[in-house]
Amino acid sequence: MELLTHIVLFLILSFGICVMGVFYAEPEDGPALQSLPRRYGTFVGACAVVAVILLVVEWVFASVR
Amino acid sequence: MVELRPSEKRGEPAVALLLTWFLPGAGHVYLGRFWTGLWAFLLIEGLYALGFLLSGGRAFEFLDPELRGVFATVLAPEMGNLGAMIFQHKSVGFGSGGPTPFPAWVELGSILTALSGVGNLFVMVHAHLTARTPDNAPRRGRHPVLLLVATWAFPGLGHFLQGRRRRAAIVCVVLLGLFLAGTWMAGGANLSRMRHFYYWSGQFFLGLPAIVAEILSGRPPVTGETALGDAGLLYACMPGLLNILAMLDVFGVAERRWLEKENSAASSSSAELGSKAPEFESAPPA
Repeated sequence: MELLTHIVLFLILSFGICVMGVFYAEPEDGPALQSLPRRYGTFVGACAVVAVILLVVEWVFASVR
Repeated sequence: MVELRPSEKRGEPAVALLLTWFLPGAGHVYLGRFWTGLWAFLLIEGLYALGFLLSGGRAFEFLDPELRGVFATVLAPEMGNLGAMIFQHKSVGFGSGGPTPFPAWVELGSILTALSGVGNLFVMVHAHLTARTPDNAPRRGRHPVLLLVATWAFPGLGHFLQGRRRRAAIVCVVLLGLFLAGTWMAGGANLSRMRHFYYWSGQFFLGLPAIVAEILSGRPPVTGETALGDAGLLYACMPGLLNILAMLDVFGVAERRWLEKENSAASSSSAELGSKAPEFESAPPA
């Protein structure tokens, strides 16, 4: 349950980051909002890859089991 | 950035910016704007001096002992007023280390020194823009630095004043929503520089909502562990950092329009940028 809560919190904060990112990158509202889903997907996907790498590194090098 | 021909510049923008960074107003004096420089100096250094007096120069003592060092305050808003920050480091540093109670107004004093740092950032931008603005240029439209200050003061206000109302509403809802959610999750623990020096620094770029919330809350004591406290701190800090992106967005558009209008006979690069600039004149603010 705690993991799910944090994933939801991450997705919400990521959305805010991506909204401000597309607004910074594109001065017109239309193209900015159109590019939002793709950028959001890329951001979340890339973060997921980083998270998996960190988990693997932790499991390989830092596990105390 | 819109480039001007060398003959159109008042001075070197980078020199004006660096001078202002070390001494507020010095960049304007360098550009021949003595009175503007003097007013900027009095305002910015006056804020810092008042904050310094109220806090006894002890705002940096909020940092945990293990975090203190020469570069520990680089991420603090006071970094915008580098000369004053160095003075504070040289004169009082991180204090004697003894268990001396803080002055009653220490938090308000630290807000004022932080305000001085952020204010000098705007003076630096003004000096840089002034250096790139021709003497004989007509003055039309809102000044880009005014829009920059408005965006800092209240998220979305700069966009609104530019006539970009839909963007203003989205920016306002997203940033204030994140801040309020963060404050709720952290149980108000984010509303004190004494408790969270660096998170507070990021949050300070959200402008008046963060400052007013801190003052109104009275910095409530933390009475227990909050389940989402750490996430709340992050949620409250991020909108301040994201508001910097909003400020850059507003300033970029405002600068293009400002220098375009002033350089009607100017460069082709200006015209090229103008073709990329969005059209907002059709929907001016009420």
